[in-house]
Amino acid sequence: MTKKILVVEDDATTADYVAKGFEQNGYVVDVASDGRDGLFHATDGHYAAIVLDRMLPGMDGLAVLGAVRAAGIDTPVIVLSALGSTDERVKGLKSGSDDYLSKPFAFSELLARVEALQRRGPSGAQPVVTTLRCGDLGMDLLARRVERGGSRVDLQPREFRLLELLLRNKGQVVTRTMMLEEVWDYHFDPGTNVIDVHISRLRKKIDDGDRPPLLHTVRGVGYMLSETA
Amino acid sequence: MTVLPRLRLPAPIRVALISLAFGLVITVPVLLFVYHQTDSLFEQRIHDRLDDAEQSAMSVYADSGSAALPAAMQQAIRTGELRGGVALLVDVRGHKIAGNLSAWPPVLPTPSQWNEIRLYPEGQVRAELFAIRTIALPSGERLLLGTTIDERERMRASLVEALLGALLLAVPLGLIGGWVVLKIAERRARAIGTVASRIADGDFSHRLDEETGGEEFSMLASAINRMLERIEELVEQLRLVTDSLAHDLRSPLTRMRANMERAAAADRERRQQALEAVSLDIDRMLRLISATLEISSTEAGQGKQHFEDFDLAQLLRDICEIYAPVAEERGMKMTVVGPSSLNYTGNRQSIGRAVANLADNAVKYGAGAIELGASDEREFLELWVADRGPGIPFDMHEHALGKYRRLEEARTTEGSGLGLALARAVARLHAGDIELEDNRPGLRVVLKLRRSAGNLSLL
Repeated sequence: MTKKILVVEDDATTADYVAKGFEQNGYVVDVASDGRDGLFHATDGHYAAIVLDRMLPGMDGLAVLGAVRAAGIDTPVIVLSALGSTDERVKGLKSGSDDYLSKPFAFSELLARVEALQRRGPSGAQPVVTTLRCGDLGMDLLARRVERGGSRVDLQPREFRLLELLLRNKGQVVTRTMMLEEVWDYHFDPGTNVIDVHISRLRKKIDDGDRPPLLHTVRGVGYMLSETA
Repeated sequence: MTVLPRLRLPAPIRVALISLAFGLVITVPVLLFVYHQTDSLFEQRIHDRLDDAEQSAMSVYADSGSAALPAAMQQAIRTGELRGGVALLVDVRGHKIAGNLSAWPPVLPTPSQWNEIRLYPEGQVRAELFAIRTIALPSGERLLLGTTIDERERMRASLVEALLGALLLAVPLGLIGGWVVLKIAERRARAIGTVASRIADGDFSHRLDEETGGEEFSMLASAINRMLERIEELVEQLRLVTDSLAHDLRSPLTRMRANMERAAAADRERRQQALEAVSLDIDRMLRLISATLEISSTEAGQGKQHFEDFDLAQLLRDICEIYAPVAEERGMKMTVVGPSSLNYTGNRQSIGRAVANLADNAVKYGAGAIELGASDEREFLELWVADRGPGIPFDMHEHALGKYRRLEEARTTEGSGLGLALARAVARLHAGDIELEDNRPGLRVVLKLRRSAGNLSLL
């Protein structure tokens, strides 16, 4: 089944850029250019995710979001906004969005976040899993144990969280800012190589030896855990 | 701008008229009051004199009858109560018995308490104003007693003269006063105008003299100077921001252009590399822009609505955990010291960001052991980041806290130069400030956060 994405964005260039990006990644995209139209689409179709601009003509983005949630639709929503400060972000998340991305953004970042949202499923309904796996790398969430090819890997608590995040998004790119948000709960840009250093430590622990590497760098975007390079 | 058609008098005349009006408002009631008071005093004296004269005349009459009156009247007019006055005694038919009036004044009723009448006493050519009292004696004769009230009239006249004189004096005094006040104000205004036009010409260093010219002008001058200070600061800041932004954007843009040209000509592999370099530069510029926006909005006091309770010590541990591996890579060690928990109400995200900036700076520019610490200083909670690197010379501290300041002019080290400026904005959001201290050796940056900053309105 092809996945459908609804993009609610009044700026034609941005809408086109986002739509093209999703289409290239195998999505079917509907574009709504104002809040009313967006709300109409959102209540109508079954979308895998909604990309919602914060500033819209006709109806404010957060108002659209409120109406969508009030109608009992729990499609994951990611809010785009030129209002980039952390406070705007908090406001957006409090209004019922699942994620928030400030403009200007890289499409890869948006894609990574939208895919992460879909795996997470409708907000609040996280499937209960107790083990995560990628190739011969296994994580037991209850015992908080990690094994690679049968031998135990010792991880610091945060390294464990980082690996858990990557495992939950197996085969998908996780960006650096997503890592800082999910693992440490801070929403700033940590600078170029801070996350890289953490990843390289994690990599030393899980990809050590002759086994095929699982943790891959996606240049310019972030990192991905995958059995195939 | 339209000028309404209205009477425009020259400024000195306007000031003079105003001071004249004020002069009148003050002097006229005073003079009227004085006039009234003196007048009633004189009236009282006239009454008393007539009362005394009547009493002594009546006692003479009671003792010795009307025959003794002429002598008593004579004495009263010459030296007694009615000195300079008039007296007249007439019989039942109105014929004069004694006195210095030739006849009973025809218009005078009998008896009367008080009359003012112009009379010609015998032996005088000029009529005088007298206060007259007439008494009907039981034996049928009528007695007239009068005292002069000329002095009251003289007093009245001189008061009116004083009033007119005061008015006449008020006009030139008002003019002179107005002119003096005007000259003083004009000189002050000219001084302010001179400074203002120099500033309009672009020289912001001029200031008004706050010492001379009286308290009000000093206050005005110091208020204007404070305003100028602030304007100069803002203009300077803006100039630096534009210069630095231009510089910081120009280099990546130039690099991007070169890379794009290379990409257009090169093979697939090289093109890929060039495009990646371009996208790195774009990211760097985006970061620069978001950081600038973040500082502006923090400086404008946004973020107050997202204050929450959290543990500052935990925040330090988080930041240390994030940056310690980077420090280790560069051969440094990062540790957290201080209390194991320190509760605070503030904007956790922005404080986290500020401390992260300080930690990042310490890793980039510092050396040796880096310490993140917290302490409770009553009014303030202090977070500090200390390193053992070269530090910043004391006279460069203020410079370092500005926007876009990196101390080496070459601007080769990566970073936007906005880290300390953002940290300062965050400290101010929490009604505190940032301080740079000498760590002997190294730099110690202290982020002071005011307790209960959430309850304070933004300064």
